Amino acid sequence: MLHDTLLSTLILTPGAVGLVVLLLLPRQADSAARWLGLLASLATLALAALAWARFDPADPGFQLVEQRPWLPQVGISYSLGMDGIALVLVLLTALLQPLVFISSWTSISQHVKGFIASMLLLETGVLGAFLATDLFLFYVFWELMLIPMYFIIGVWGGERRIYAAVKFVLFTLAGSLLMLVGILYLAYLHHAQFGVFSFAYGDMLRLDIPMGAGFWGSPQLLLFAAFALAFAIKVPVWPLHTWLPDAHVEAPTGGSIILAGILLKLGTFGLMRYNRPLFPEAWEAATPLFMVLAVIAIIYGALVAWAQKDIKKLVAYSSVSHMGFIILGLFAGTVASTQGALIQMINHGLSTGALFMLVGVIYDRRHTRLIEDFGGLAKVMPLYTFAFLLATLSSIGLPGLNGFVGEFLILTGAFARHPLAVALGATGIVLGAIYMLSLVQRVFWNALVHEENRTLSDLTWREALAFAPLAVFMVWIGVQPGTFLRLSEAAVRHLIGG
Amino acid sequence: MTSHDLLAILPELVLVLGGGVLVLAEVFAPSLRRTFGPLATIIALGAVVLRWTLAVHGMAFAGALRLDELGRFVDTYVLVAVVLAALVAVPYLRRTKHEFGEFHGLLLWAAAGAMVMAKTDHFLVVFVGLELLSISLYVLNAFHRTSGISLEAGWKYLVVGAFAAAILLFGIALTYGATGTFSLVEVTDKAAGGDLLPTLLLLAGLALILAGFAFKLAVVPFHAWAPDVYQGSPTPVTAFLSVVPKGAVLVVLARVSAAFVPAALTPQWLPLLAAVAVASMVLGNLVAIAQRDLKRMLAYSGIAHMGYALVGLVAFGRDGLAGILVYFAAYTLMNIAAFAVVAAFSENEEEPHLLTDLAGQGWKRPTLSLALSIAMFSLAGIPPTVGFTAKFLVFRAAVNEGWVWLAVVGVLASLVSVFYYVRVVFYLYMKPLPKREPAYSEPWPIRLVAAGCAAAVVALGILPAWLLELAEAAAATLVR
Repeated sequence: MLHDTLLSTLILTPGAVGLVVLLLLPRQADSAARWLGLLASLATLALAALAWARFDPADPGFQLVEQRPWLPQVGISYSLGMDGIALVLVLLTALLQPLVFISSWTSISQHVKGFIASMLLLETGVLGAFLATDLFLFYVFWELMLIPMYFIIGVWGGERRIYAAVKFVLFTLAGSLLMLVGILYLAYLHHAQFGVFSFAYGDMLRLDIPMGAGFWGSPQLLLFAAFALAFAIKVPVWPLHTWLPDAHVEAPTGGSIILAGILLKLGTFGLMRYNRPLFPEAWEAATPLFMVLAVIAIIYGALVAWAQKDIKKLVAYSSVSHMGFIILGLFAGTVASTQGALIQMINHGLSTGALFMLVGVIYDRRHTRLIEDFGGLAKVMPLYTFAFLLATLSSIGLPGLNGFVGEFLILTGAFARHPLAVALGATGIVLGAIYMLSLVQRVFWNALVHEENRTLSDLTWREALAFAPLAVFMVWIGVQPGTFLRLSEAAVRHLIGG
Repeated sequence: MTSHDLLAILPELVLVLGGGVLVLAEVFAPSLRRTFGPLATIIALGAVVLRWTLAVHGMAFAGALRLDELGRFVDTYVLVAVVLAALVAVPYLRRTKHEFGEFHGLLLWAAAGAMVMAKTDHFLVVFVGLELLSISLYVLNAFHRTSGISLEAGWKYLVVGAFAAAILLFGIALTYGATGTFSLVEVTDKAAGGDLLPTLLLLAGLALILAGFAFKLAVVPFHAWAPDVYQGSPTPVTAFLSVVPKGAVLVVLARVSAAFVPAALTPQWLPLLAAVAVASMVLGNLVAIAQRDLKRMLAYSGIAHMGYALVGLVAFGRDGLAGILVYFAAYTLMNIAAFAVVAAFSENEEEPHLLTDLAGQGWKRPTLSLALSIAMFSLAGIPPTVGFTAKFLVFRAAVNEGWVWLAVVGVLASLVSVFYYVRVVFYLYMKPLPKREPAYSEPWPIRLVAAGCAAAVVALGILPAWLLELAEAAAATLVR
């Protein structure tokens, strides 16, 4: 029974509990809301693990497929499916969500109900977007993420939260609305070529989309652009990244973890899932452009991160740089580089999620994130220092930890076809090591000059509990990447081949 | 007049007679005032039930009225709007001390006018229905008869309305001169026989008809009355005014398009409609950003929304028309939800309904605020709301008919609109409560309407197949 509706149950569980929290809980039931949220996210994690257990890595296609008519007159169906690419991202999402609740257990004290409900609705949107196999359904889930995130930044965020929230909404929508027209045009093409309207992903793959001449005369290039813009804003690809530092810095810790850990991945996931297979010729044509943008993002993001005085901003800009690597791997287009990009999406979710979580820990204690306000923390917070160092090393790609696997695969996979981009991109790794290690030095090793830092307490058991799973996966992926690479290999080979 | 004819207009008869009874009861039994509102609601619900159970089809009154699924769809939507407006009006009028029977009587008459208009193939019957609708509304706009701003609204709507009626009538006359008939059925026959030529006379006539209707729709460049009238009218009237006349007029425009456009007129008619649609979408959304008063903001948003609906009319075909009908069902629900919340403002009616007065209310009045937020997200076209479904269907029709650029303009315009819709949510949840808190009263009918509409907006957004089925059946009567 559950086999037929496993994916639906997985997607709808958090959202349904979220609505219960929002509409049915009494006004002051903060504690009940927190527990419900945590339980719902743990249930989702269990369901995701169940989906993993039932997943057959040898099959490159969609599994656990569900299909029901939704708007049959228009050719829209409620159809879900999971391939290896979606699986690893679903696992990441399901893993991060409970950690967000644990880490925000006390730091969110206002309107707790609303926070829990927003987070759970957001999770439904994210899981749905990963698992939808109908373009209309995908779009609905994609947009469903917008409103909860708007609230998360706008209500629980920092000082300039309103500016950041509105900027986030407008940037995201600007891209996705044009994608909507693109989706409509694809359905129209399907009608023109096959006589029926359809929004099904599988049907779209059969379309013959003309390349035409020039940019404005080429349906395929225009469609590619409409989709790519939506995804590139989400990634974000330089120069569309300007919403990201604002959103990250102003969002509460939990919001930043989800934003960096998962929402950004939707951009690269979209490029993988939609742009590459649907518009192969346009993808080829756009590769040089995206290679250049990726290299710029890697170097620019790293340099700007280096110059930051605020730890959270530094981590935010490092995201721009890291996401540049993923774009580079995707557009390099070999199996190794694409696998590397995918695993790097997971790695970035883990390491950046961990970093944002840890920045939140000292912010809760000191209410400042400026690097100069710290120094010498290693003496007073040894466990915290260890955690931060581990996340840092994972982020800069120390062999033995997860970050190395992704970067190595991307760079080796891309080298044969794009040696120059790889050479330039590799400098990003060096820069990454410089800015992250200098951050660690200034925060943890230098002399302890601020007296108020002397009394800081180390990680509580709750904070340690939130961090521990991330650490486990950082090491696990680093030591034994095959476990995870195997999941997506068939799907990626299928993507590259077909 | 046969029994068939009487059965055909039974719902309208119930409305007109019921309205008459309410108006008279105000004179002879004013002590029963409290029952007038519920009574009007029951009469309107009764009319809906009659329309669906009688199942009279075909022509009535020697071809003056046409009873089809399209008419039934519009009737349902008009009457739902009446019920919702009447529910909001009951506590509202009590608070403003204007609880008179005429209000509900006029509301029912206006509904009857709109229903007649949407069900005819005959230009003169259209005109009669439009006048019944409009004259009732002139009085309703000015119903706060001691308030200058309400009187101004009534006066403005009267002057502009009379002007529009004259233009419409002139257009009808010219069209009659060109075609020799008032009947759209005969026009269709002529067009099919190739007897309909795009003469200057005909084009001028149609352009004037479009202009006359454009006044009623409040689309650019005939929109200037809308903000003042929306702002000044009693809020339940504004809610009614913002949906009912527009829905009826658009259906008439659809009937006119279906009759005239397949002929040689397409190259003139469609670009004209497209231009009006683009201008309305762009100007409505841009100017709405500058508004500080919620009612005025909704007026400009209404201008933009009529632009979106016109996109469906440009695309036409069954998809386009079905899109328009879904659009109106959606627009009714989300707009009335919004106005129901506005009606909960209980400061002096003369005062503006400032956006800033919403500050911090989100945590204080969860029901109303959530309903208003859902209405705003739906108006902005963000899924999973019916507002998104409606926009999706209209733009889909446009893309399928080759109007891709129009759809692109449409989505860009809605991007602009997101800014001011989301600003309402921002005030509700992200601003602290002000020191001097504005007064609100949220009696149960207002809560019921707001929450019910919001719930429907989401429910129809998630499961729109049923609504679309109805709309497609209705559209199929006009276009194959």
